[in-house]
Amino acid sequence: MILRAAAAVFVKDLRTEWRTRVAINALLLFAFSVLVLVGYAVGPTRLTLEDRPVVNSVLLWIVLFFSAMTGLSRSFVNEEETGTAAALRLSAPPASVFLGKLLGNLALLGVVMAVVVPLFLALMSFGIAAPGLFLAVLALGGVGIAAASTFIAAIVSKTAAKGALFAVLATPLLLPPLVAAVTGTQIAATGPESAAGLDAVRLLFAYDGLMVTASFLLFDAVWRE
Amino acid sequence: MRLVAENVSRSFGPRRVFGPLSFATEPGRVLGVAGANGSGKTTLVKVLAGLLRPSAGSVRLEDAGRPGSRIGVREAAGAIGWCAPDLSLYGELTPAENLEFFARVAGRLPTREELEERIASVGLDPRRLRSIRTRFLSTGQRQRLKLAYSVLSSPAVLLLDEPGSNLDEAGHRAVTAIVAEQRGRGSVVLATNDPAELALADERVTL
Repeated sequence: MILRAAAAVFVKDLRTEWRTRVAINALLLFAFSVLVLVGYAVGPTRLTLEDRPVVNSVLLWIVLFFSAMTGLSRSFVNEEETGTAAALRLSAPPASVFLGKLLGNLALLGVVMAVVVPLFLALMSFGIAAPGLFLAVLALGGVGIAAASTFIAAIVSKTAAKGALFAVLATPLLLPPLVAAVTGTQIAATGPESAAGLDAVRLLFAYDGLMVTASFLLFDAVWRE
Repeated sequence: MRLVAENVSRSFGPRRVFGPLSFATEPGRVLGVAGANGSGKTTLVKVLAGLLRPSAGSVRLEDAGRPGSRIGVREAAGAIGWCAPDLSLYGELTPAENLEFFARVAGRLPTREELEERIASVGLDPRRLRSIRTRFLSTGQRQRLKLAYSVLSSPAVLLLDEPGSNLDEAGHRAVTAIVAEQRGRGSVVLATNDPAELALADERVTL
């Protein structure tokens, strides 16, 4: 029942997004602008070979983090602003609403990553020595960002200063996975999979599990008045 | 199912909007809620729907055949239908897609014929509206669609808040038909200022 309802929420959000393209346009436009700016200002040649893994890893996750801040809050904010949240509250089990919205945000972030990451690697001549580790870090980092953003979006959707509050709450909550993701990306760029790289993956996995579980447990209280 | 409100009141800050009130709905009967603008009709309906917590008292559903059974309205998904000025459906979906979505999240898999039948039951032409997004409907057409949504899950209790607003003569007949249909399976709470609609009520609560 919950999975079927979550699938309905997910499909509805995708269909609505496909017809308006508001969130995806905002995400991609922001990501592309920052990408061009970073490519122009820093570029592959202005960094020493030693600095490249560290600086490029940080820049990549900055682009992904701020892109997420731009568009992922819409999942719940839009429901409150258009007045559809009440009907959704009355009709759907809270867990299915959260799961459907989380899947929608994961899909959006997945599209952004699929566009941004290859472009970033090409623009910055950013070589990856351990692609398996890199993909694992991207996937787990993406889940962490999407889970935290979805939950925070539900909290801020009923407040007046939605955008500002979203950033204020998201920044401290997303710092731990971002640090782990930057470290993991840096290790993936410099050498083969190592214990330190796997530590970053473990940390991201633990964060994702904790974030998703806590969100499911707390969502009912956040979603209802 | 009976909807039982016991000493229910609601305040916003220091201002009490209504209450304390006690009443119960009975299957097959219509409870009218009357009152001037600002008397708290919409707030009362939201409390009955579980969309707002009461400041004091309780609202619950009781199974008429099982004395003593109690279900909080917030745990009674699908048992309560709601139509109100505050209700909005998804503007980017067509009327049928809207009804299909709300049926699916409530755990039902309606056929296309069932959805079109429900749309037709409130006087809308399902074929003409098949490819029209809800945001392009007129206010009256959207109100009729909200009526269709409110009875989608065959609720035990139907809460109607100003159901005739923005409706023409045929729309008012659709409201009467919905109320008559609901009498056959449960109860209705009808909050309105319209004397013609209040005439449908068997009992009345005045705020």
